[in-house]
Parts: sequence; structure tokens; C-alpha cells
Amino acid sequence: MLIPHPLLGLRDAQEFTYLGDAALLDRPDPADADAFADYVYLRDNPAGVHRELWFHEQGDRSWLVVTRDTVTHEILGAELARDVKLKGGAA
Amino acid sequence: MTDLTPMTALGAQAPAQLRAGALTITENMGLALASLSLRDAPAPIPFGLTLPGPGAWVGGGGVAAFWSGPGQWMIESEGRAESGFAAALAAEAPGCAITEQTDGWTAFEIDGPPEAIRALLEKLVNIDAAGFAPGQATRTGLHHMGTFLIRRAEDRLAVIGMRSLAAALWHALTETAKRQGETA
Repeated sequence: MLIPHPLLGLRDAQEFTYLGDAALLDRPDPADADAFADYVYLRDNPAGVHRELWFHEQGDRSWLVVTRDTVTHEILGAELARDVKLKGGAA
Repeated sequence: MTDLTPMTALGAQAPAQLRAGALTITENMGLALASLSLRDAPAPIPFGLTLPGPGAWVGGGGVAAFWSGPGQWMIESEGRAESGFAAALAAEAPGCAITEQTDGWTAFEIDGPPEAIRALLEKLVNIDAAGFAPGQATRTGLHHMGTFLIRRAEDRLAVIGMRSLAAALWHALTETAKRQGETA
């Protein structure tokens, strides 16, 4: 599987580690206990297009938001998590 | 004062060198390394070197730089491993975070014809071996070790790996080159 790194081009998925749903970028205020419990413990498990966080651990060590179809494993795109966050979150 | 005896990353007195088939692998003891991170500073031009973009390496005037991550570079200098290179770099890059790296890494220089270097890359790393042209540098996994690869020229490749794993990296490089030499 190849991941299209926005800076470095196609890179082997073995260089990356997987974290999970990119919604983790939108961390709620811990003062709201219910929202924070949902953030920590609840995950969607979609069959289809999923936005997820990958870390280029054996590469330039940047975090990416990769859009992937969990049914076919087709990778539809990748962007730097930093850019996604600066644009206003994972949504 | 105690008279200490310097030794190489492989524990020897002199840099290791091995010829296998068309390739020559040489331990580069003299290479000074320091990392440069911008933080909030504007991009400096250390030693007159314009810092390269993602995946690239540039050299000139006895120093060279390669991109190691967003806003971050490794600066290298031949023959200055024992000279306090990080301090010299810090003076050239005001406001940047400079970290001495020389003692954390070990560098192996591989010389040989382009097709033999390409065959070695194809065997060892999951990057585009055919597209890894002179002036490119990248970090990738080699035998599960994080290593920097620099294509210094058509006939020259540098592999920079963790110093504590120097023997494992030397083994991986030399065994692959030897087997490549046997089948060529």
C-alpha cells in the first residue's frame, strides 16, 4: 500500500504508523466531562470512506490525515494534519 | 589527564572499508552533523547555503544540507566531526534551534556505478530507486532501522544511521553488496 505524502510523494505504508479517526484532532474542552468521555472512548467504525491519522514514523515524522476507503483500502488523498488543523479541524 | 584512544563507531582504530563487486563502502568518520530547526525564526542562509525543499540535498563550500522534516534540516560538513561544528552553525543561524548530531550517527559512503547503487537500493529500501536522483535525500526504514539516504552523485550514495546500530547497518550494507557482487 502506498500513501501519497503531500511533501514527499508516494511512500510505502510500512514507513507509517496508524493512530485512528482524524476526529481526534478536534479535542473538546476537558471541563465538559460528557463530551470528553465520548472523545476518549467512542469511535465510529465506518464501512467506506474514513479520515484517519497516520504518522510518518520512518520518514519525516509528520502527521497526515489520510482519506481511505475501509472497504476497498483505496487511498483517496492525504494532507498534512497541521494544515487540516489550521483550516479548522478534521470535519 | 587520561590519554583516551579514539575509536570508530564500529569499534576499530581506522574507518572500515569494504569492496564488494562494483561497490565500495567506506565509513565516513569525519562527517560533522548538526540539526537546524526554524521554530519561529526566518529561514537562515548558513555558510551561504540556501536550505533545500522537501526530499532534497544541496552542498557547496564544504557544507551541505538536507531536508529532514517541515521546518527542519540536517547540516553536514566533511572533515569537521571534531571541530564543534554545531557552535559554528549556531552563529550562522540566529534564532534557530541547533542541536549537535555528530555523535548520534554514523555515515557510510557507497561508491560505484549507478546501476549497482540502484540495485542496492532496490534490495534494501522501499523507495523509488530509479527516481532517487543526485540531489535527493530522504529518511526511510532499512532493515527496520531509521536511516537517512543521500544521493550525493550518480556514483555516490551516503547512508547515515544511528551510531549505536552501526554494526547492524554495516552488516546489512556489506552482506547485500557481497551477494550482489556474486550474482552480477
